[in-house]
Amino acid sequence: MSHTSAWLILSAACCVAAPAIAVQYLTAEAAQKLLFPEATAFAPRTVRLTPTQKQWVEAQAGVRMRYSEQPVWQALADGKPVGWFVLDEVYGKHEFITYAVALDPTGAVRGIEILDYRETHGGQIVNPKWRAQFEGKRFGAPLRLDHDIQNISGATLSCKHIAEGVRRVLALHEVALK
Amino acid sequence: MKEREIRRAQPWLGTLVDIAARGVEADQAVTEAFRIIALVHRLMSYHEPDSDVTRINREGTLEPVAVHPWTWQVLARARALSEASGGLFDITVAPTLTRLGYLPRHPDLPRCSGQGDWRHVELLPGHRVRLTRRLRIDLGGIAKGFAVDRAVAVLEAHRVREGQVNAGGDLRVFGKRPQAVHLRHPAHPTRLVPVAMARTAAVATSAGYFAGRRMRGRRVSPHVDPRTREALPPMRSVTVFAPECVTADALTKVVLLDPDHAQSVLDRFGAEAVVLEYRESSQGWQLRTGARHA
Repeated sequence: MSHTSAWLILSAACCVAAPAIAVQYLTAEAAQKLLFPEATAFAPRTVRLTPTQKQWVEAQAGVRMRYSEQPVWQALADGKPVGWFVLDEVYGKHEFITYAVALDPTGAVRGIEILDYRETHGGQIVNPKWRAQFEGKRFGAPLRLDHDIQNISGATLSCKHIAEGVRRVLALHEVALK
Repeated sequence: MKEREIRRAQPWLGTLVDIAARGVEADQAVTEAFRIIALVHRLMSYHEPDSDVTRINREGTLEPVAVHPWTWQVLARARALSEASGGLFDITVAPTLTRLGYLPRHPDLPRCSGQGDWRHVELLPGHRVRLTRRLRIDLGGIAKGFAVDRAVAVLEAHRVREGQVNAGGDLRVFGKRPQAVHLRHPAHPTRLVPVAMARTAAVATSAGYFAGRRMRGRRVSPHVDPRTREALPPMRSVTVFAPECVTADALTKVVLLDPDHAQSVLDRFGAEAVVLEYRESSQGWQLRTGARHA
């Protein structure tokens, strides 16, 4: 079977400054409601670790802690504690993620929601020849490059940093919320 | 009832899963879709000690292991893809991935003989699975696509009019409004390359960029050539458009290994490929479409 394959040069230099990927999924309040639908109140319980506690958390989790303060809320259902809502941030080589971890009263993970996802640099690569090839051909609609970047195939961003972050949150629970 | 637009993301299947939905039941639809993704994760994870995959790896050589119908379904699809590709897609390359540091060591599992391949994963009636050689299976190359397909089915069952499910590059979009699909540039992962506008599409991309690491001075990717059991260098990005994500996901590995001969396999599954590749001899990064337009 024969088919023509068209090779196109795609120079990375022809990158036009376009907005980098940034998605705001949820506000902290919306995440609280999703993770603790039964809760009637969220009491702020910001954790401030002593240098010794911070060291202990880092040793337990095997990751560095940037700050000694961690925003935490206690979820309450009619005054009864139903768990912890911990806000956290992680940084990767290219990305910056804000997320929330819900812990039940025993300290087990109940759920995780991403609040904010941002990539540094980047944007769309625009190459007129490249565009021309697809226009009207593949799925019957021309490319609109001004459109929000929503659908990225090949976004195999590792969740390693989130996994590390959750380990850190669990260690923090152990030392400060038990 | 008023229409709602929801977009949420959670970490599952070793990546970020992003689900967007527009519809009157969008809230419940997205919550339910994440529940389904979590179930696929629990069934098919190589890391979880009680997943179907781990149970097959632990006990499959001793006796047939009963698994969830979905696990069986994915194994059956994997087998069809292995057959069609002459073994270019193979779910038994896990020992190489462990050697390269992409998969954890499981010291409590039986030792691998190094002799087996996909032909030695036997699918028995009653959703039972037996291994006829001492080997390890890993559904990392196909389960994400399956999870995306199941999540989309949930969204559609909840009357979502327009939606998107993206599990680290295994992507499905549906709805009336055409949406742009982008790829990441293999050398500059935060730079995006638009490849298509689509109302409905199932897409998967495999490339070494984010997962690439160094091994004894050589750059390697998590993509293993079943013929040599060695990792491929991360110099190529492959995107496959197929009727379902489960097929697209697996076919990216076939095209990655042999882009020049993959066309007949793509045809068989009604799929198309886009290859982005670094060519030393020419002017750098080039793009090839498998589509048969002049």
